[in-house]
Amino acid sequence: MDINTYKEQKAGYYKVLAGLLLLTAITFIQPHMFLQNATFGVQLMIGAVKAWLIVMYYMHMKGETLIGWTVVFAMTLVAFFFIVVMVDVDHFQNMEGSHITSQPHIEVDYGHHTASHEE
Amino acid sequence: MSHEYVPEIATDRNGKQHEVQGWQGDFYGGKLGFWLFMLTEIMMFGAMFLTLTYYYSLHPQDFIEASSHLNRLLGGTNTVVLLVSALTMGLGLLKMRAGDVKGAKLMIYATIILAFIFLGIKAVEWTEEYNHGVFLGLDALQSGNEHSRPFGQILFYGMYFTMTGLHGFHIIIGIGLMVWLLKRINAGKVSTEHHILHFNIALYWDLVHLIWVFVFPYYYMIGAGHGH
Amino acid sequence: MSKSYLDAGETHCAIGHPKSVFWQWMLTVDHKRIGLMYAAVIFTFFFVAVFVALTMRIELFAPGAQILDGDTFNQAFTLHGVIMVFLFIIPGVPAVFGNIVMPLMIGAKDVSFPRLNWFTFWLYIFGALIALSSLWTGEGFADTGWTFYAPYSLNTNTNVVTTLVAAFVLGMASILTGLNFLVTIHRLRAPGMDFFKMPLFVWGIYATAWIQLLATPVVGITLILAILEKVFGIGIFDPSKGGDPVLFEHLFWIYSHPAVYLMILPAFGIMSEIIPVFSRREIFGYRTIALSSASIAGIGYLVWGHHLFTSGMSDLAKTVFSFLTFFVAIPTGIKFYDWVATMYKGQIHMNAPMLWALGTMVTFVIGGLTGVTIAMIGPDIHLQDTYYSVAHFHYAMLGGVVFLLFAGLHYWFPLMFGRMYNEKHAKRAFYFNFIGFNILWFPMFIAGWQGMPRRYFDYLPEFQIYHQISFFGALIFITGLIYMFTVLISAIKKGEKVGPNHWNATTLEWHLPTSPPPLENHSKVPYVDFRPYEYHHGEPVVKFNLETMQRID
Repeated sequence: MDINTYKEQKAGYYKVLAGLLLLTAITFIQPHMFLQNATFGVQLMIGAVKAWLIVMYYMHMKGETLIGWTVVFAMTLVAFFFIVVMVDVDHFQNMEGSHITSQPHIEVDYGHHTASHEE
Repeated sequence: MSHEYVPEIATDRNGKQHEVQGWQGDFYGGKLGFWLFMLTEIMMFGAMFLTLTYYYSLHPQDFIEASSHLNRLLGGTNTVVLLVSALTMGLGLLKMRAGDVKGAKLMIYATIILAFIFLGIKAVEWTEEYNHGVFLGLDALQSGNEHSRPFGQILFYGMYFTMTGLHGFHIIIGIGLMVWLLKRINAGKVSTEHHILHFNIALYWDLVHLIWVFVFPYYYMIGAGHGH
Repeated sequence: MSKSYLDAGETHCAIGHPKSVFWQWMLTVDHKRIGLMYAAVIFTFFFVAVFVALTMRIELFAPGAQILDGDTFNQAFTLHGVIMVFLFIIPGVPAVFGNIVMPLMIGAKDVSFPRLNWFTFWLYIFGALIALSSLWTGEGFADTGWTFYAPYSLNTNTNVVTTLVAAFVLGMASILTGLNFLVTIHRLRAPGMDFFKMPLFVWGIYATAWIQLLATPVVGITLILAILEKVFGIGIFDPSKGGDPVLFEHLFWIYSHPAVYLMILPAFGIMSEIIPVFSRREIFGYRTIALSSASIAGIGYLVWGHHLFTSGMSDLAKTVFSFLTFFVAIPTGIKFYDWVATMYKGQIHMNAPMLWALGTMVTFVIGGLTGVTIAMIGPDIHLQDTYYSVAHFHYAMLGGVVFLLFAGLHYWFPLMFGRMYNEKHAKRAFYFNFIGFNILWFPMFIAGWQGMPRRYFDYLPEFQIYHQISFFGALIFITGLIYMFTVLISAIKKGEKVGPNHWNATTLEWHLPTSPPPLENHSKVPYVDFRPYEYHHGEPVVKFNLETMQRID
């Protein structure tokens, strides 16, 4: 590798570092400053941007075709697993009668349910 | 292999020659292989994040409450430590490719030191949590006793120790790999001309960083701004 | 002149340059030797698990306890399942024929990472030893079934943790095999061999490798989480802490369903190799068969929930999974039509490999169609966890994967050993196996439909007749297995010597200069400008000078 490529790539690394540090700072500021009701989504979005920077530049993904597609394939699978399992748990049936959705100090009283409690 | 590998030539029916890709000296193959290995790590941590999300959706308030008690100062410091270590590792690889083997080794040493700092801070965090009675095996995370936390908090902390523990385990492995890399460089087996091992270990370290990029906000930040 | 890979001599080893033959085999990185060693080990484990099954069949001959009590019976079906699934059928075709044949088929000298291949073999042995060690420690082998469902697996005192660790190690071996094969197929194909000139067995191994790589880690982490649950009580599968056993089932089957495609795809690859050779015709629909392998691998990731129809999943999820499960049958159907179309107007040669292949067509169709029955939610509520499921998956796994593995043994035997077995005895052994298999398993569909539950060591007297017929079938089937292996094993040393292309086939593994193959594979890597199954009037079109690997047709 010649000295100019080296200097270029080194500069690139520092730029990415600056971007990552900035995003980390935003991570800390966000819950106190903006979009507080969407903290979960915003935090993970910031994470995704950081991840993209790391994968593209530190991991040299920019310029790789086959490897890029394999990563996309794997992530699509993970996304599918997420979506299906989360849809399943979001349609949790018989939640009132379930032990795991009730808190430990609450007695689940099976003896006094009347017909009107049944779906 | 101690002997130099000379690729074979295949000749087609028109007399044209084609170089045969052998398994030896295949830089791209080494890169591809390691990326495929990293995909398995994505699947594993992906499944753990799925487990976490599953229980977050069932117990959102408990999760936010538990998250608010984690030490964001220490966690945040660790985030920066890991970030800088990714830089040092990357610079090390650049130097190796540019012919500066000594500089590359210095960068690897720097990365190892930062990795130890990360582990040290993690140990402090876990000790703090243990001293607050929140640890695997202690009453707070068991059910049916007077200190038992609600389900959502038990599950949050169970996955917290699991995922930060497994992440820490990967850091320890990373330190081991870097030490081994230094030995290989000293033995002349890794050099500017043959540095696939260095390349792959740098990729590994970036993966370790990537996992933390998601672990940190998911555990530490979802409860931030909730008055603790 | 190269020595054959079986002879003693300098072979490439993982560590050093050993002089003794024993260490040359223990440390070998040669893909052909590694494949043979896998074969020796996995078939040994196969017979152990068959023996365990026979013990269960004896116990089940009559209601009540005869030779086993309930707890031991639970350990028996767990042991049978763990060995058959993790030690035999998942390594199965990829470990044996993926290693021995695939690199030869693409004109490569070895796999991309030969030392990793060596390491992977010993990792597999290590995992197997861990699993078997749990037979003699503590409370004995796990009694949870090979599926380790929570919460029972959390509460039982049998050696669940040991088995989970073993399964994790074995899973790592599977992942590394898949990784090695993926890079090999991407990087080491002979010049000119693009993806659509690869033999279909290689397509099968390729699709399988993607499942090995991406699905196995999910069960890997699930097993780790289960171990952490048992040891540290993290809570995620323990209902007393809010943990959900259905989550365990989701995570477990996210791997274990694609795992069955991991089992069948290489086996279908073997079918695609055998049919053209013994019909003396080019395969019909090469591209569709190739792409169907890829689609089965892809769609197979999406259907795991059909194992959870009776476990408490939401109705919405059940509907989605039932719908997707129907889809995955389509590419398989396409393969079957293409194979039959290949045979149409071909010159059929009923040698042993072809007999096994055709037998499999019958048994796998039964296995596949009965799978479609239980993909329907309504019938599945009735048939789940009955002998119907057991018969379905044995028809598919044993009558599909294992029968084709046997077909592969008969097909590639002359390649591996340079000798031939006795055809007449091999065919007779097939009939024992085929007839015994059907008598053993078919009655179970009926028993299951009548309500006989699976994994039960005792039952109501109305089911006895089915168990007795099955037992009779089991005896015939086991006789057939022993017969078949005796025929093959005795031919290794005493079979008639044959040349490198005994079946007059077209694919590259048959164009080697000596029989058995030289250590270094092809004398020279050929340039591939031909399709893999070109026949003209029953004769292969492509002919090689085996020393220069130049085409002379």
